[in-house]
Amino acid sequence: MEAIVSGFLTNTMRVTIVDFGIGNLWSVQSALRFLGYDSVVSTLPLEVEQADALILPGVGSFHRAMMALHKSNLDEAILEAVKGRGRKILGICLGMQLLADSSTEDGDTQGLCLISANARRFDIQAKGQKVPHIGFNQVRSSSRSILFKDIGSGADFYFVHSYHLPLEGLSGHHGICHYGRDFLAAYENENIFATQFHPEKSQTNGLRLLKNFLEC
Amino acid sequence: MQKVGDLNWLQKNYNFSHISFFIDELIVLDVTRGERNPDLFCKTLESLTKGCFVPIAAGGGIRTVEQARLLLRSGADKVVVNSPLFSNPYLIKELCQEFGQQCVVGSLDFKRLQDDSYQILVESGTKPLMKMASDELQSLSDDMVGEWYLNSVDRDGTGQGYDFETLEQLPKNWSVPVILAGGAGNASHLAAGIADVRVDAVATANLFNFVGDGLKQARTSLLNSGVELASWPDAVDFSDNRVAF
Repeated sequence: MEAIVSGFLTNTMRVTIVDFGIGNLWSVQSALRFLGYDSVVSTLPLEVEQADALILPGVGSFHRAMMALHKSNLDEAILEAVKGRGRKILGICLGMQLLADSSTEDGDTQGLCLISANARRFDIQAKGQKVPHIGFNQVRSSSRSILFKDIGSGADFYFVHSYHLPLEGLSGHHGICHYGRDFLAAYENENIFATQFHPEKSQTNGLRLLKNFLEC
Repeated sequence: MQKVGDLNWLQKNYNFSHISFFIDELIVLDVTRGERNPDLFCKTLESLTKGCFVPIAAGGGIRTVEQARLLLRSGADKVVVNSPLFSNPYLIKELCQEFGQQCVVGSLDFKRLQDDSYQILVESGTKPLMKMASDELQSLSDDMVGEWYLNSVDRDGTGQGYDFETLEQLPKNWSVPVILAGGAGNASHLAAGIADVRVDAVATANLFNFVGDGLKQARTSLLNSGVELASWPDAVDFSDNRVAF
């Protein structure tokens, strides 16, 4: 891909944002542009397969999202890029959950099975917390984390979700947040990265995290 | 409500993308009375939110799922709905099913009457509903949306502080997050709102809060007095040309 000659866009890595019809892609693209990275928003399996780096944003229902990914063959394209070609991927919010094994949202649906966990709803009755979990909250992270490099543990990020991934049985470095219980806020293992929070909505902390993902 | 100018005026006088680094969320409402221009609103939204790395809710006149989708593709993360809460609850359900409950903010405009009871206004604050506010709200369920935005029509723009009695109008068993709006003129008003256990977030549209360092100072003052607000690095250099405040 040719470098775009302008004051700001200097990076040649092919970042592809997967568009399966659901989600605020403009904000992710806007954040990337701010950081000096051009990106392609794509609905095409071939483009997704050939990406250098993938971002999978998403909001809304797990079930609908998986159906949309499947119908457009984007699920296979993502797996080919990530497992077949070893390209890195960042799942954001619902995108993180889609990388997991399954979710009970709207019935039991299988995910992309790249993260060994199953998404569950926050149990409002048990903990007296309001659902969805909305707003900024602190994320504890490891000093050896790639995503949280130069960010520090306990930094604030923006969350908006009713379902979460539990921590049990996961390998790799994780970001942990507490809402009634500890849950998986960020995941990184080899080329699979994911955040439950929205880095493109988390002010300077989020911008720094996106930069860390793009540069690793 | 005050008419102040167009987008260029706003960006020139308030350096919006700078201001956005001192807030947790942005709400952009099209309060046009009469014929709206959705395309223009979306373009305005796109332009306004460039360089705003903060959640954005947008609304005003949403009557179809497609209108909501257009906003969500123009930079909004959530949509704000008002009149349809009462006139077309099926739309609310569709919006939640299509985009997720957390994507929908229900907006309520409250007006206080002479006898201290409350009315709910719809249609950009022009039309009162028949029953008392508390009765009208009994016919809704709190989880039909992801958040509630309560605005005092009387206090809005006055800078005299929030009307906490609007919270009294909500059914006691409601447990969905609540944003309080209408009347904040300074940091102590914001603090009083946040201190109330029924309130999850406070909103201000008072431009005096946007002038100069007003918002930044208000945020710093709240943090210093122990209010648990989110924080992030002030000025961070990301590249040769880009600095985020």
